[in-house]
This record gives sequence, C-alpha cells and structure tokens, in this order.
Amino acid sequence: MQQRQTYRHSLVARLTHWLWAVAILVLVMSGLQIFNAAPYLDASDNSNPAKRVLAIGASGTDAAPRGVTTVFGHSFSTTGVLGYTSDGLGGQAPRAFPAWATLPGPQDLADGRRWHFFFGWTLTIALAAFGVAGVLQGTLRELVLRPSDVPKLRPMLLYYLRLRKTPPAHGTYNPLQKATYTLVLFVLVPLIVLSGLALSPGVDAIAPPITALFGGRQAARLWHFTFMALLIAYFCVHMIFVFGTGAVNNLRSMVTGWYTLKDDEEVGV
Amino acid sequence: MNRRLFVASSIASLGLAGCAQAKTALTTGPFRKVLDAAETVNYRVIGTRGMARLYTDADVNVQFRLNGLNTPADTLYSSLAARGFLQYELAIGGLVDRPQRFSFAQLRAMPQQTQITRLDCVEGWSQIGKWRGVPLAAILALAHPKPEARYVVFRSFNSDDQGTPFYGSLDLHEAAHPQTILALDLNDKPLDLDHGAPVRLRIPTQLGYKSTKWVSRIDVLASFAHIGAGNGGYWEDQGYEWYAGI
Repeated sequence: MQQRQTYRHSLVARLTHWLWAVAILVLVMSGLQIFNAAPYLDASDNSNPAKRVLAIGASGTDAAPRGVTTVFGHSFSTTGVLGYTSDGLGGQAPRAFPAWATLPGPQDLADGRRWHFFFGWTLTIALAAFGVAGVLQGTLRELVLRPSDVPKLRPMLLYYLRLRKTPPAHGTYNPLQKATYTLVLFVLVPLIVLSGLALSPGVDAIAPPITALFGGRQAARLWHFTFMALLIAYFCVHMIFVFGTGAVNNLRSMVTGWYTLKDDEEVGV
Repeated sequence: MNRRLFVASSIASLGLAGCAQAKTALTTGPFRKVLDAAETVNYRVIGTRGMARLYTDADVNVQFRLNGLNTPADTLYSSLAARGFLQYELAIGGLVDRPQRFSFAQLRAMPQQTQITRLDCVEGWSQIGKWRGVPLAAILALAHPKPEARYVVFRSFNSDDQGTPFYGSLDLHEAAHPQTILALDLNDKPLDLDHGAPVRLRIPTQLGYKSTKWVSRIDVLASFAHIGAGNGGYWEDQGYEWYAGI
C-alpha cells in the first residue's frame, strides 16, 4: 500500500519544540538544585513549619545517617534517594535531591540559579516564537481545543479504553490531544512561569497580585514545585504516546517535519 | 532510524541517567559564562521598581532567622559593641561633594522610617521583620554624589573564617529607593550583634544577601572592580548575582 505523507510540523515548531525540551530539562534539574538550598515547602507567605507540606531532610547518627521525606506530617525513610544522597563528589551527604538529578551536580546554589534564569528566558522566547509562528501559519488552531471538540472527548476516551472501535472524526490532533495541549500550553506553563516570578522580591514589588494569587512567597514555591511535578507527569504521558504510536514516525516528524499517515488517518485541516 | 533514537535517548540520559561528565563540562566550561547574560536581562526587565509589600505587627517573626556570618570577631567591633556603640561613627565618602560623618546618636536623631517587610532569602525561605532606620536617600542627599558616581559600597566590620572581608553594593537608583534604609532596630529592639548591629542595610526589593550587615563605612564610587574579587560584594564574589531582585 502506498504511504501517504504530510508536512505536519513547521521549521519554527520543530526548532522551538527541541529548544523548550532542553530548556525544561535544564529548568527541572537546576530547580531541584535551588530547592536543595531550602528543602521544604510551606503553604504560607513567610516560612512557617506549622504549614509545612513537604520536607526532605537527613536524620540519624553520623555513623548511620538516614534520608527522611515528610509529606503532610507523614515521614518515610528515603535514604539514598531523597534526603541523604549522592553529593556529586563521589560521596553521600545530607542533600534533598541527589547529584544526578540536579544541575550543577554538586551543591551550588549560585550556579543553579544562573542556569535556571538563563533557561527561563530561553523557554519564554521559544514559547513566544512558537505562539507567533503558530498564529501566522495557522497551525496553532489545529492544536487548541474548541467548543465543537468537547462532545468528542468522551467517544475519544472510550476509544482509548477499547470500549469503542473507532475514534470520532477529528483533524490533525484528536480531541483528547487538543485538550491536553491546551491545558499544558495555556494553563500549566503560564502558571509555572507566574509562580516562579512570584518568588522574586523585585517582581513582588512591581506586581503584588502575582505573589498574592499563589498565597504568598512560600506557597508560590509550593505551587511552582507542584506545577513542575504535573509537567513531568505530562512528559511521561507524552513519551508513552510518542513511543506507543510509532516512535520512528513521530520522532521523524519532529525532526524533518514529515509525518506518515496511518491507513485510517486523515490529512487534517 | 536507530541513530535518531540513540540521539534522543542520549539527550534524555544527560539528565535522567546522570551523565556526570557532560554536566561537569557544561557547568565549568565556557558555556557557564554565557549564562551570566540572564542577570543583565533580569536587571533591565525587573530592576528596582514599585514598592515592597508592607505587613502588620501580627505578621512579624519575633525570633528572626539568622543566616550567613555571625557576630564579627573584629577587635575594634568588639570594643565598640562593649560600649553600646556610643563611639561608633558612620563615614560616607568617595565621589561625594560633601563627605559626612554621623555618630550613632546623630543617626538615631534623624527622621526614621519603620517598615514591616518580608526578607526573601536566596535559599528560598522568607521571614517578616519590623525594621526601623534612616532612609539611605536622606544620607545620600546630604553627601551629594558627584555626576560620575554610580555605586554605593557598604564596608562591614565582619569577615569570614578565611579573613575575607564582608561587603556589598547597590547602584545609586537602588540605593535611593524609598524603602532602602540603614536599619538600626529590628522588631522594636536595637539590632543585636548577630543581626548586624549597630547599622545594617535593609533593601526589601531584593534578596536578603544584598542587605549588608555591620556597616562600618559607605563609599560612593564609579566602579567596584578594585574591591574584593571585583564583583560588588562578598556573596557576589562567591558566584551569586550582583542583581538580586529575583
């Protein structure tokens, strides 16, 4: 059977996709480096142990140190994974997140911050370029959930759950994909950026409602961390679909732009 | 095709599987210098604008958290402290038309500002304190900086275990911000020796490490390149950004 190909991703979309993929990886790792300097999260404005939601620390004796993670007052032993972990210098130390997960590897708040801010701007510029190009080229419209897609969400879910033989008719992206991309691009990512800005005393002085929106500076730290966890969860789902629906075809389309349509797929609008 | 998968998985492994050597090369190599560009962008975009949020007495952290260096070991400092800082004098010099000297009593007699503001630490934690002291703008107005002046450098009585002197700096715009004060009191009491007595800087629009403690003298300068390691402050010389509004 003849393969049908479609040019799915523009050059700007492909470049910005890989740029923000790298940016988000660096932001997560440098963010964990920054978190390590104060490895606890409070649901309050100023630091308040009574409002502590998460704490990752070390306890025990020098001879037998332990990593302890406390979530909503419940403590778990996490030695080697969280709290007492690799220090990036060949040993183990009281460190919330291990050296392999942070950037730089060894404890270095000053450089962690520089990585975070540089790639924060990189991400912002990549997203802006993607947004502008998407509007000008009309590709953003294919990605965004519209009212007409809402009735198709349930049949699409039933199709994924194998309770329905065929997916509902749709364009380039199915309604669940559109809902996910819309939530990530227009809700989750803006919230990550805003909750990060809320941590800045300079931004708080310019626009106090931003920090107030998240319930204060420490609470904004908690939200910033939570949104990161949600973004990682999205990344995992993204990987499952990329590798589960034809890894080579999907990866090629994000490198060359060309996507091979499956038998039942339409070219889209 | 396998090559592409290899490239993709290699990128992922940089972080997820822990490619320690690549990270070391990136974080210590030339690319590390490129990152510094973000500080300039933050300084221009965020800068020092607006006013830090003001709190009420009920919000204050009575046991205000300590961080960084403790009480200076300096002998001059110890002798001044033993006499309740009655002999302390704050000198303002450098590129000013009228160099000034203020005794501790004169500083106390100047119009004071009380601000209950949040101190945001670079480490991530925050504390709310009630600060009282002299707006830096008032002191600068008396000294009258010359046209070529750009920075205000705060010398400190303290130094670290290696004997490296503690100091800090602001530019003239940040120094003249109405909430930038030379604090004398914290939480209705004179500053104690660990919190920066007798005089410390307090700038609520920036992170805590810019609020230099134990101020011994103030110099208005065109450049701070010749002081310490040349980055404008003790913490800046350790790698932290000079602009600390974020």
